[in-house]
Amino acid sequence: MLAIEADALRRTYTSRTGWLRPRRTETEAVRGVTFDVSRGELFGLLGPNGAGKTTTIKMLNTLLLPTSGTARVFGHDVAREPVAVRRRIGYVFGGDRGLYERLSALDNLRYFAELYGVGARDQKRRIGELLDLVGLTGRERERVEGYSRGMRQRLHIARGLLHRPDVLFLDEPSIGVDPVAARDLRRTVAGLAAAGTTVLLTTHYMAEADELCDRIAVIAGGRIRALGTPESLKARVGDRDVLEFEVYGVDEELLARVRRIPGVRGAAVEERGTAQALTVQSDRGAEPHARVLAALDGVRVGRVVSREPSLEDAYIAIVEDATARREPAEVTA
Amino acid sequence: MLFRFLSSARLVLVGGALSYRALFNWTTPPMFVGTLLVGPLLQVFFFVFLGRELQVADDRFHLVGNAVLAASASCVYGGTMAVANERRYGTLGAVLLSPRHRGPLWAGRALPYVLNGLLVSAFVLAAAAAVLGLPVPVEALPGLALVLLAGAAACSAFGLALGALGLRFRDVFLVSNVASSVLLLLTGAAVPRNTLPEWMRTTGELLPLTHAADAARRLTAGDGLDARLLGTELLVGAGYAILALALLAVFERGSRRRATLDVM
Repeated sequence: MLAIEADALRRTYTSRTGWLRPRRTETEAVRGVTFDVSRGELFGLLGPNGAGKTTTIKMLNTLLLPTSGTARVFGHDVAREPVAVRRRIGYVFGGDRGLYERLSALDNLRYFAELYGVGARDQKRRIGELLDLVGLTGRERERVEGYSRGMRQRLHIARGLLHRPDVLFLDEPSIGVDPVAARDLRRTVAGLAAAGTTVLLTTHYMAEADELCDRIAVIAGGRIRALGTPESLKARVGDRDVLEFEVYGVDEELLARVRRIPGVRGAAVEERGTAQALTVQSDRGAEPHARVLAALDGVRVGRVVSREPSLEDAYIAIVEDATARREPAEVTA
Repeated sequence: MLFRFLSSARLVLVGGALSYRALFNWTTPPMFVGTLLVGPLLQVFFFVFLGRELQVADDRFHLVGNAVLAASASCVYGGTMAVANERRYGTLGAVLLSPRHRGPLWAGRALPYVLNGLLVSAFVLAAAAAVLGLPVPVEALPGLALVLLAGAAACSAFGLALGALGLRFRDVFLVSNVASSVLLLLTGAAVPRNTLPEWMRTTGELLPLTHAADAARRLTAGDGLDARLLGTELLVGAGYAILALALLAVFERGSRRRATLDVM
């Protein structure tokens, strides 16, 4: 039996603004998402902000009803059998919120153990195991309000695992976490998957997805744009060369100019402290180096590196392609 | 069967106690003493001295009525915080993902405020009676405890029903503020109900604390326990408890459909 089955899932949000002349806006957050996750698989859902990742997860974990389509978790329909689904899932989300600030970590876990039906006899042992697993043993009696973001994130994971869920939804668990804590988090997640827990992970960190995931779906504009193993996604840009320029002050206009260079298949810029990293993908052998530098006339350019395409390059190519033929998400009435 | 009962009992008792500490804003000693004990005690003095000046009613009326009403601060606001503060901490989603039955879950949320309200009313009554020299017959104490408990329970159920609105609306504490004023005006705890218009008197009949205040006054006057008043107070409380659970269920279901919860 499959752990997760999503079939043509759609979700539309309706919002109203104004009292005297109300305006109704419909936003299609998810537009027909279909995928399966096998038991014990570590499945990644990648996409830019607003792509529909969290909405998809919230439909799968029963917090939202799909507008249309169906989804099942271990055969239980998420719309019709929410309690059966909730017994088998854990949900961990990133960020500072989602914990009782005034309680200690121990009391947070005790309360959620009650909520998730962990038996009284099991509770103490299970909480001890999880505190060990996430490295919070010794700090469990401190109030959560004094915890760092990394410690909160680890506590979120412990909470999500209290009732030994068969499926764990991890929604951007490493957001804002320092590199060492993120590495520990990846180890924990890999360990869970190795022990047979099915994991659905959303993340913005491509290296994390590349390292952890068995398969990845890239979602953009509410639709799945690509689905496969990290290797198969990378192969989509295997016929490309990648140049990375260290630049200072590239704006959208310059970026568009770079994209228009013959042979260039895509260009993206990422802020890195005071500098920017301009990544240019081109057809293999096109050698656009000089033409890119010419297009960047007037911009300070530092180091230039040529490298093999990575998962991040594949992701950028998929998302840019989706953006280029994007349908309007909002309908106003 | 026994296991399920014990498990539900734990959710009510242990879960309730933990949620009280997690969500009630006034658990720190300065807030608890200032907001729940000193404030209501001063309110008793205010109404007693005002009543003497205006000769609206005697000391017993104001002292006992306001002591019963003192439970409303923790019960109304506590009940509201028990649901609405989940939004503040971003924990509502994690709570709603619980597979547990909602009855014990929400009942556990209300229980600590019943005990809190009872404690506050008992303290305010004892302290005000001692300071103002109002005699309370010793034989009335068990009955008084029962009446105050019924009033606090009814008021907590009322507070939870208001808190349920927190699943649908953001500014639910506005409703709590209005509800507190309504209780002050219409329950007859601070204002004699026979001076109110008919529709206000009728509305007061349907509010918590109205019948508990009347029953407590009779007891302190040495008239014994009025079972009818006590029963009516309990009935009003049961009505609000049912309303609270119904609203919580409806709004939880609606939140899945309309995505009205900022759950995470």
